[in-house]
Amino acid sequence: MIRVIFFAGLASLMVALVGPLDATAATVIMGTVKNEAGKPLPGLALLEKGEIHNNVWDRGTLVGADGRFRIELPEGGQYGLHVYSSGYIYSPEAVKVETEKTLEVKVTLDPEPIRGNTPVIEKAGFFPWEARQGKVTFVKVDVADPNGDLGPQVLALNAATGRAYAMNPPKRITDLKANFPNGIYQLEVDTSKAPINPRDWHFVVADHQCNTTDILSFPHEPKPQKVIGKR
Amino acid sequence: MEKASPGIDALILLMAMALTAACLAWPSLSPTIVLGASDRSLEQLVVEGERLWTQSPDPSNPVACATCHCDPAMTRGWAASFPKFKPLPPPHARVMTLLQANAEAVERHYRLADPLPAATAITAFLTARAAGTPISPGISAGQPVFAARMQALAGSVLRGKHLYTGRCGHCHQSFDLAPSATAFPRAEGGRPASLELFLEGHRPLQPPLAWDGQATADIMAYLMSQAAGRPIGHHTYQASTEGKEGS
Repeated sequence: MIRVIFFAGLASLMVALVGPLDATAATVIMGTVKNEAGKPLPGLALLEKGEIHNNVWDRGTLVGADGRFRIELPEGGQYGLHVYSSGYIYSPEAVKVETEKTLEVKVTLDPEPIRGNTPVIEKAGFFPWEARQGKVTFVKVDVADPNGDLGPQVLALNAATGRAYAMNPPKRITDLKANFPNGIYQLEVDTSKAPINPRDWHFVVADHQCNTTDILSFPHEPKPQKVIGKR
Repeated sequence: MEKASPGIDALILLMAMALTAACLAWPSLSPTIVLGASDRSLEQLVVEGERLWTQSPDPSNPVACATCHCDPAMTRGWAASFPKFKPLPPPHARVMTLLQANAEAVERHYRLADPLPAATAITAFLTARAAGTPISPGISAGQPVFAARMQALAGSVLRGKHLYTGRCGHCHQSFDLAPSATAFPRAEGGRPASLELFLEGHRPLQPPLAWDGQATADIMAYLMSQAAGRPIGHHTYQASTEGKEGS
């Protein structure tokens, strides 16, 4: 009996010692999004990999109704965190995430004072490529900006895969500070393994003056943009 | 050895006189800041800067600097952290002075045809807000430090050192000069004055510098590296030159 207890104790000790060594801690950025009054805000949290504003979009997630979000990363490093919520000016922030550690951030968003200059996503749609039926689908949005200073932030999130994308403008633009044109922005998505589920797709646009559209989610029917009003 | 012709002698003499005049024009060697009229002008400049910080000049687009950067604690350290790498969209990301960064933001957000006056006033306001904060180029309190940005700043400082040696070092020791460089923007004769604009107009015998150019940022990055740890602000300039004024 004593021998059984001894070996059982030894086994427990080994599990306790070895267990933590086998477990690899995740590399995570998580946070809370609120307005100035402390009200949690739902929306999108999207990441650029590397230097902020480099337009290399990487991952993203939905921000819940409780204002919380969590993104697991393959590696630590420098990222540009952009947080969006309908009726609010988006918040950009350069962050450094340590590998196998969790970075917790607090984001406070300020309401858009007026919406007259805010870009509008007029339509969104999903179009299989005729020539490659079932293999490629174009995701398209029609964007218009009343004051004509769209930038590269015409963004899409596939919440199912956690991928964030900058959508391609109607014509190729190399200078990211240039004013981007109004019109159809699109993405070519590989659908050879699984079809697109429109419910997974969310869109947001911000212009060079930080005027930010409301987030367009399924069923992707544009509505009058929210006016939160002054604080 | 060949003897120089009288024409060349005269030319050399003229160049030497121009060089001397240009050197004497450097503000730290002619400390003319006097409390009174010009001080009131500085105050006005700061007030104007605060107004532009909090209110957009374009009523149709009321998003102002303070709409997003509304926490004074957050912005208090900004002025002391410049010059630094500004992560603008490629290929525009580079080391910038605070004035250059403000001018870029004013041009983009306020859409002013000439962003310099507004940017100078906002820079004066932010510098006043930061008064007394130790200069720490590239590093803002509470913000992460990125190795790539610091490398870019180190490159700028190195380029600035070479530029300074070639353009300024004949007359001015950088270590002596650095403290006065921390006291801009300021009011001179009731007009806003920035170090960037001063550098643009200084040393007319050399290729001109642009106030918003990389070379200007590099020279200022070098000067600020010499002033690291000193408190920023206009009053600092006066304090640091008190001993020299009578000499």
